[in-house]
Amino acid sequence: MIRTDVIIVGGGSTGCGIARDLALRGIPHCLIEKGDFAAGATGACHGLLHSGGRYVVNDPEAAAECIAENRILRKIGRKCVEQTGGLFVRLPGDSKRFRDLFLKGCEEIGIATEELSPSRALDLVPKLNPSLEEAIRVPDCSIDPFRLCMLNITSSQKRGGQILTHHRVIEIIREHGRCVGVKAREEATSEVKEIRGKIIINATGAWGDQVARLAGGSVPITLSKGSLVVTNHRITNMVINRLRPSSDGDIVVPNEAVCLAGTTSMTVTDPDRIGVDPAEVDIIATQVQQMLPDFGTTRLIRTYAGVRGLLKADGENGRAISRGFRIIDHQDGLFTIMGGKLTTYRLMAEKMTDSVMAVFGLKTKCRTAELPLEGQEELSGYPLSSRLKTLEGIVCECELVTADTVERVAGQIGTRHIGDIQHRTRLGMGPCQGGFCTYRALGIMQEMGKMTPEDSMRVLGEFLQRRFKGIKPALWGDQLREEQLVEYIYLGILNMEQEQ
Amino acid sequence: MNAIYDVVIIGGGMSGMMAAITLAEKGKKVAVISKGDPVCCFSTGCIDVLADGDDPLEGIGSLPDNHPYHLVGENAIAHSLELFKNIMFEGGMPYVGDAHINRKVLTSLGRCKITCLVPETMEFSDCDPDEYIHVISFYKMKDFYPQYITSRYPNAGYSVFDPGVITTPGIAEKFENKTFLEEFISWLGGLDIPEGKIALPAVLGRSLAGKVYHEISAGCGRKVFEIPTLPPSMPGLRLFGGLKKALLRRGVNLYWGRGIYSVEKLGNRIEAVTLDSAGRTTRVEGKAFILATGSFISGGLYASMDTVNETVFDLPAFLPGARETWFNDDFFASGHEIEKAGIRVDPSFRSVDAEIENLYVCGSILAFSEVMKYRCGHGMAIATGVAAANACGGLV
Repeated sequence: MIRTDVIIVGGGSTGCGIARDLALRGIPHCLIEKGDFAAGATGACHGLLHSGGRYVVNDPEAAAECIAENRILRKIGRKCVEQTGGLFVRLPGDSKRFRDLFLKGCEEIGIATEELSPSRALDLVPKLNPSLEEAIRVPDCSIDPFRLCMLNITSSQKRGGQILTHHRVIEIIREHGRCVGVKAREEATSEVKEIRGKIIINATGAWGDQVARLAGGSVPITLSKGSLVVTNHRITNMVINRLRPSSDGDIVVPNEAVCLAGTTSMTVTDPDRIGVDPAEVDIIATQVQQMLPDFGTTRLIRTYAGVRGLLKADGENGRAISRGFRIIDHQDGLFTIMGGKLTTYRLMAEKMTDSVMAVFGLKTKCRTAELPLEGQEELSGYPLSSRLKTLEGIVCECELVTADTVERVAGQIGTRHIGDIQHRTRLGMGPCQGGFCTYRALGIMQEMGKMTPEDSMRVLGEFLQRRFKGIKPALWGDQLREEQLVEYIYLGILNMEQEQ
Repeated sequence: MNAIYDVVIIGGGMSGMMAAITLAEKGKKVAVISKGDPVCCFSTGCIDVLADGDDPLEGIGSLPDNHPYHLVGENAIAHSLELFKNIMFEGGMPYVGDAHINRKVLTSLGRCKITCLVPETMEFSDCDPDEYIHVISFYKMKDFYPQYITSRYPNAGYSVFDPGVITTPGIAEKFENKTFLEEFISWLGGLDIPEGKIALPAVLGRSLAGKVYHEISAGCGRKVFEIPTLPPSMPGLRLFGGLKKALLRRGVNLYWGRGIYSVEKLGNRIEAVTLDSAGRTTRVEGKAFILATGSFISGGLYASMDTVNETVFDLPAFLPGARETWFNDDFFASGHEIEKAGIRVDPSFRSVDAEIENLYVCGSILAFSEVMKYRCGHGMAIATGVAAANACGGLV
């Protein structure tokens, strides 16, 4: 049995942020996550560190939080934030009134703006639609959600925080009307562990209601699916937004070697059963093409979808619901934190931790906004510039990941999961989407004794299915060629029929 | 520059090369134009005819009526496979197998691939779980992990040799070096391994596999076989190299690394094509043309968001349905609808949707060929390549 003070359920940005905050304030804690870090909406978002511009007209409170956190994260997370800057682009036919409201809102909240002529905007982003009316520059940035989570966790681990990934909470233990612990099942071994704590924080995003129900409670949540597509190269080095009320397919974010374009917004009922519909890809492609005409002929290498757990408000659609967050005290030792955004994850963690401190009657101040994220130097092997330095023994040719790196990461985190390697090295994130390198990475893990060959066959099979689910909705052009090659390799050369 | 041929073949893959050889043997003046090295370089080098039942030729009877194999017929398929074997034998790269017998080949994942004709280096590759197999792997070779195989064959073991390089072509090149080969054979002789076969990933030379293979077999006194690997695949490259040499021996003119820049049509006939090049263009005139540019992988077909195009002559291509129906949800359920896309032809291998009297079509660009579903890629390419050549050969 593990005994601790605070149990955090959920290893997305919020959960990881809370772990860091608790660690810096000296509170023992244990974080339990059913997959890898950032496995839910955190890792399935745009990777956009909002300036707040997106919400300035309709949700000024969320916008104000965004710009404040944007400034903090640029300061504390230099190595996981790329200060790309962003443009809000107004195309012919887009409302001028909205532009005026936008500028007024930005001024009131303190979001720095710069109005750019079409030619100046085209200098910055040559692939913009040349018939644009104007562009407004804001301090949008690109942020890597996987690295962000891992850096937050580093602070926790350095101070004795216990981290259980690939553990699913199956029961919340109640005694005398209070939540006193959880039972968590390790996914690979099915071993059940009991963890006892004084406070349980439900930071599971879209799964918030499911977890609250384990303790007999519930949370008012609306599940909103957002789908995105990944291009195989950067078509813009700045974040591009459409200067109009939030709608589908109006944001493009550069991230490492690719761009992420989206999103859509659809209400769903089950966060575990989501997929991208080809029609959503068409919507995104059509809309983004209006801002960046080349998008229509750009190769799309993957689609993905995440589920936002939004604060429920009757009669409102997903776009209209506030991106603010809320902490619910279930009055029995369980707290749920829900809503919010990746950009405001630190603020959410701060407020949540403040509540914990109040319960404990402690007064230690939050320091997460001042101290730089720890471990940024050790993760410096991640950016492309560093990966280009070693070109020997490459197993992932798309993203230049070497066999040594795979061995090192697999050794460090002791993982049995291929996804863990991918999130930490970018293995399999390039144009072939792991078609070649996953077979190799699993082979390396076999040789290291991390995984039995039987397991690796199963994992390879599951990986290929999941990969195909993401690729299929945007399958045409050169990506279709690539896909037929991958299909030929696994079915034609290796004859890998699906395990029954 | 202007050149005149009896038949101009566009596409240097299996079907185009087999068509070229057939026509050259009839004394025709033939040119092959290819944008680059063909998809068969990625292949296992094995000739899959139809992975259904014990006798692939018998299985053809149960294929859908519109499958291109039916345009060729069982006897002609058997003859064209025989022709292929003769060509490879003559080039010093013998293939073994019988067109009427499917055989099993061990894959790098320890699975069995069903195929028909195999290079001699895979003659003893089968999936008999009772026989001891000793797998030789190479230190840090990135595309071969012997445990995938030994875990499925309890009656198997492995040893690791360090060749000093980690890529498939790198190791294959080493095997063409006499000293390296002797060193390897002596290392192999020193291993204490049970009675049985020796299996290696397919790295026994880039082109001289036969010689390397026989020396290793003689050196260890055992049956030896190669296991096909991921691309770049040496048996695939050897297959391509063997056929290309056969073309050159027969006086076929090759325009390699050249795309088609423009097409000249006169009435219902193609008169000539003009080739891309740096500096000047080449006009290639033919009495007949054969389109053998393959399917999507090789670029004969191109799918845009909502349609499929033929990329050289813009022939009307059969489209199986709207985009959301192109692929199954299950990656492993081979037989995605999109595989049916391609050019529909009449019994003389001419497009039924475009009236061009001197253009013949063969290989995987043919509609309804579904080569992944039926595992019939190289067999279909060989059979339709020879058949299309015969169909047009009589007319020029």
